[in-house]
Amino acid sequence: MSNAPMADLERIDFSKISFLVVEPNRLMGQMVRDVLLMLDAQYIDRARDYQSAIQLLKVGRIDVMITEWALSHEVTGKNGMDIVHWVRNDPASPNPFMPIVMMTANSEEEYVCRARDAGVSEFVAKPYTVQGFYTRLAAAIARPRRFVRVEDYFGPDRRRRSSDTYDGPERRIPAEPN
Amino acid sequence: MAKRQKPVFLPPAQDLRLKAVNLKKGYPLKLEPAELRRLESVIERAADALHKETAEKLRLLRAALNDVAKGDRADQAMRAIRSLSLDIKGMGGMFKYPLLTAFAKSLNDFTNSIDYPTPVQLDIIAAQIDALYVVLAKHLQGSGGRTERALLDALRQATARHKGSRARF
Repeated sequence: MSNAPMADLERIDFSKISFLVVEPNRLMGQMVRDVLLMLDAQYIDRARDYQSAIQLLKVGRIDVMITEWALSHEVTGKNGMDIVHWVRNDPASPNPFMPIVMMTANSEEEYVCRARDAGVSEFVAKPYTVQGFYTRLAAAIARPRRFVRVEDYFGPDRRRRSSDTYDGPERRIPAEPN
Repeated sequence: MAKRQKPVFLPPAQDLRLKAVNLKKGYPLKLEPAELRRLESVIERAADALHKETAEKLRLLRAALNDVAKGDRADQAMRAIRSLSLDIKGMGGMFKYPLLTAFAKSLNDFTNSIDYPTPVQLDIIAAQIDALYVVLAKHLQGSGGRTERALLDALRQATARHKGSRARF
């Protein structure tokens, strides 16, 4: 019998998971779909804009959403961030705790921070590697983070590390050495 | 000063874990090299399609640039240039053309702050689109040689000098 820790032996059965891929670029959406199919995913819905994504989400069977930030603006003027906001905060959202992977060419730090502050679970910068995509997808599914509700935010805990030495009321950063 | 509301922490949702994570069936959290290679083949097989798609987007970029130059619904055409350059930025590195990603990023960053370009700005946009064409037409895979890096640096300097003032968000 293996001595590996239990967590190392865990596997993800992608055939049990319903995905929604929101991607305006047909070819890029197809590639994500093909990777998911190769992982044995059976339920993959696709949308190219805000409205069709919301319609699919309202049905209530989506477990994981993978979305681009930049969507076609012609009809609604809304983008992937608006979908994230809807999932996390709209009373009509069937699952505000849904893992959301943002996969986007808007990859600069300011975008990563904005996505995190909107409640995205994981961020994948395009162009991406399959390994990078898989690692973040697997983390979103198998390692869900606790959620936080504060005045202006509802979503996964944005602190990925915690301090063992501080037990006060607000987060602290280590002091600069003199 | 108003007291800040205390954060409420909610435990991680376990529904999806319970449904899909197990010890027998499916894929490990860290993929084996053979599994990874199999998945990467999806992207490799799409290389030709990505090449064609990029060529088409470059054609549309040129058309949009012509519209801007003619003053023909310039704001819409600039929106198209931003959207197309963002697409190419995301695709280039996927099929071994990181130079496409670098030039497209330069174009996208530059046009993000411009709605109605000046003649100098138009020239810079045209030069960046030309550079994208050259990379694709000459099959310049990888990060490029000294000439390509010098061109990229020159474009970066030009875009920094002539960038617009519109906020990004």
